[in-house]
Amino acid sequence: MDLFAQQLVNGLTLGSIYCLVALGLTLIYGIMEVPNFAHGHLYMVGAYVTFFAMTLYGLNYWLSALLAGVVLAVLGVLMERIVFHPLRHAPASNKFIAAVGAMMFLEALARVLWGSDFRSIPVIYDKVFTIGTLRITEQRLIVIIAAIFLMIALNLFLKKTIIGSSIEAMAQNRDGASLVGINVNNVAMLTFAIASILAAGAAALAGPIFLVFPSMGALIIMKAFVIIVIGGMGSIPGAVLGGYVLGITEAMGASYISTDYKDVVAFLVLILILTIKPTGIFAKGVR
Amino acid sequence: MLKVKNLSVAFGSYRALQDIELEINPGELVVLLGANGAGKSTLFRAISGLIRPSAGTIEYNGKTITGQPAHQVVRYGISQCPEGRQLFPMMSVEKNLLLGAYARRKDREGVRRSLRLVYDLFPILQEKGHLSAGSLSGGQQQMVAIGRALMSAPQLLLLDEPSIGLAPLVVKQMFETIQRINEAGTMVLLAEQNANMALKISHRGYVLENGRVVMHDKSEALAGNEEVKKAYIGG
Ligand SMILES: Nc1ncnc2c1ncn2[C@@H]1O[C@H](COP(=O)(O)OP(=O)(O)OP(=O)(O)O)[C@@H](O)[C@H]1O
Ligand SMILES: [Mg+2]
Repeated sequence: MDLFAQQLVNGLTLGSIYCLVALGLTLIYGIMEVPNFAHGHLYMVGAYVTFFAMTLYGLNYWLSALLAGVVLAVLGVLMERIVFHPLRHAPASNKFIAAVGAMMFLEALARVLWGSDFRSIPVIYDKVFTIGTLRITEQRLIVIIAAIFLMIALNLFLKKTIIGSSIEAMAQNRDGASLVGINVNNVAMLTFAIASILAAGAAALAGPIFLVFPSMGALIIMKAFVIIVIGGMGSIPGAVLGGYVLGITEAMGASYISTDYKDVVAFLVLILILTIKPTGIFAKGVR
Repeated sequence: MLKVKNLSVAFGSYRALQDIELEINPGELVVLLGANGAGKSTLFRAISGLIRPSAGTIEYNGKTITGQPAHQVVRYGISQCPEGRQLFPMMSVEKNLLLGAYARRKDREGVRRSLRLVYDLFPILQEKGHLSAGSLSGGQQQMVAIGRALMSAPQLLLLDEPSIGLAPLVVKQMFETIQRINEAGTMVLLAEQNANMALKISHRGYVLENGRVVMHDKSEALAGNEEVKKAYIGG
């Protein structure tokens, strides 16, 4: 039971990170109809920005996270303009290839600029709370709470503001959105900016717990991809639920089965869920 | 007023529209008749800026708007209720309507007035305001689509087969509503296959065949024309 509660906390921490990354991926999928495989690499850049802001420039943790958000928003918009905008009328396979290209480019760039070493973002919040035998580090608590905060903010933006609604409108019906006066270009840039900010947030939160290295994006994008397939491509609640389910399942798998199989768990869950419900849990209406 | 001159649209080598000449004057309700595949929706999409014409010009109030993107065209006062409705199915009816006013969202008072107007035209929509648009019946969704198009307070309303798939009684109401919208001062271009009622409420009409305008005249004249009768009225 103790182990279970402990792993639940670990799973929620991991799940929070997955949620934030998967949300960005699903938002972009909604408007581009192609998963942006380079999204995980934006997460990686976010982690580096946070790392350098803290270690090189001595910014405090939260300012570093904020800076990562700003830098990533710009980078996300640039990616949309340079990589995907020119391909907006091209078939999906071209966008796929472009996304993979952007991914390889960013990873190579990170290796050139920052080397292949593993780094870790300094841990500021190192208190440990104990409830009975359950131990929660302050940083994990911050991850869980901050992720919820970011998700609520995102939800309010999408549901309560007309600009936010334009993202959902475009995902639900592109022609309809254009006809009411929504500028497809602006929405695409806005969506990339928001998704990138979420990735930066995830990276800054995860940074002090996990390691920072150039290929860290490749693993998380696989996970995020699994999550949005599980949750239903383009579905926001699906990404949140899928993120937590995967995080918790992995944490449980790691302790009850074997840490070696931790990353396999994701794909087992994927196969299982797609066998039961091939369209994903929250599939959008039949297109 | 809208002036379409010499307009052609091509999809690859296929010429969907050729040398279309069409105009709509202030106060007019104009019907566009044509069988399946005649090119009605293509003409609408070109006017709204969803597709680019390969030749010709579209003028609106003396300004050339050819090639302008759709999100800009609606800001000039041309609004379209498209074929297939193109609603935001997972959003509430009210949100669909409010998004219809996206281009003039800063005019909060005006938006509220337009919403009032739409709810007066279609009281059922107010009742169903909080349901998702995708959950409504076909006829009600059609009302949402027309309502959404009206929310931009257009001077020119393009209606692409608004009566399709509706029960006869609802069709009749729909045409009465369209007439009322027109009488309130909005120019209307109405695409229809079912010419009977459309010719009764409209001032003038164009007949489109294989991407060309083959006839245009006053509606009474078209209604009395043997060919039109045979092809579009049935009898
Ligand atoms: N995107 C496209 N690519 C290729 N061909 C197209 C495209 N859109 C329309 N067409 C073709 O152009 C012609 C005119 O189509 P359009 O949809 O304008 O007809 P319509 O008069 O609206 O017909 P309906 O009454 O069935 O709606 C058709 O032959 C159609 O197949
Ligand atoms: Mg059509």
